[in-house]
Amino acid sequence: MGLITEQLPLPQPVKFILNWGRRYSLWVMNFGLACCAIELIATSTSKHDFIRLGVIPFAHGPRQADLLVVAGTVTDKMAPALKRVYDQIPDPKYVISFGSCSNCGGPYWDSYSVTKGVDQIIPVDVYVPGCPPRPEALLHGIVRLQEKIAKEDIREKWSGKLTAPAGSR
Amino acid sequence: MGSSPRPLAPGDVEARLRARFGDDVVAFEEQHGHAVATVTRARYREVVAFLRDEPDLACDYCDFTTGVDLRERGLEVVTHLYSTTHRHNVRLKVLLPPEDPVCPTISDLFPTADWHERETMEMFGIRFEGHPQPVSLLLPEQFEGHPLRKDFVLMTREAKPWPGAVEGEEEEEE
Repeated sequence: MGLITEQLPLPQPVKFILNWGRRYSLWVMNFGLACCAIELIATSTSKHDFIRLGVIPFAHGPRQADLLVVAGTVTDKMAPALKRVYDQIPDPKYVISFGSCSNCGGPYWDSYSVTKGVDQIIPVDVYVPGCPPRPEALLHGIVRLQEKIAKEDIREKWSGKLTAPAGSR
Repeated sequence: MGSSPRPLAPGDVEARLRARFGDDVVAFEEQHGHAVATVTRARYREVVAFLRDEPDLACDYCDFTTGVDLRERGLEVVTHLYSTTHRHNVRLKVLLPPEDPVCPTISDLFPTADWHERETMEMFGIRFEGHPQPVSLLLPEQFEGHPLRKDFVLMTREAKPWPGAVEGEEEEEE
């Protein structure tokens, strides 16, 4: 990573190629918790086929993953496990919050046990609304994430500063 | 009499329970073809054992044990038993005073009831006397309170009141 860690600014073509390579090789970690997981899995299968967008199902563990899709209802009891999975994913890493429950609690907005939004635990890059969202919605979310990756400064992303817990930034 | 493959009518279940337990069967009703008996706390275990062991009744399957918060009337434990041989359903209710919500366990009679009682314990704050492992089943360890009690405060509803109709109010208006 000599190219990345040196203090010289990266030439624009190098930035483009690095981001281009990264955005089309997203090993996805399946964090399916409820009915949204079915839509996530449907997106991975032949009909919707997110492999054509460069999303690879499914990473065998968080340490092999680039993208975490939180699909479903996160409860306060599950939240520590989710945080642990997220912490195990190496930088650079991305999170898609899939469905109303993980976005904000959804229909369980007043529940005693449901976490009101996964962004209270981990930083989220793209929110996909719906209850559950259709696979097309996830495809759209993936495209938006790839647009975001294309614009990234890889040096900043790789530093880990963006994904560190709020207190240590 | 011997065991019969036909379901016992709720009235027949009532007759057998009343013959055996008398005034300890506080109330009886039929709901959707199911026998529903309210029994005293003192003889709840005996009733469950009787329903299980009596050949006529042979309720060999415990479907669930749960709780109901009846506010000022107290807390109620509801246990549903089913007979796989006779195919009849018997529901038992035990009313507990709100200041002393303690109920004897039936987890030694029906091991199924073990987890059901643990869930009822954490959700309603009902203590099951004699339970072998009286600890939380589903809630996180640091959780405080009993969320299915009517007086449990939902913090999000304090911040934003429920936008729709409140349960029960509609019925009063009709």
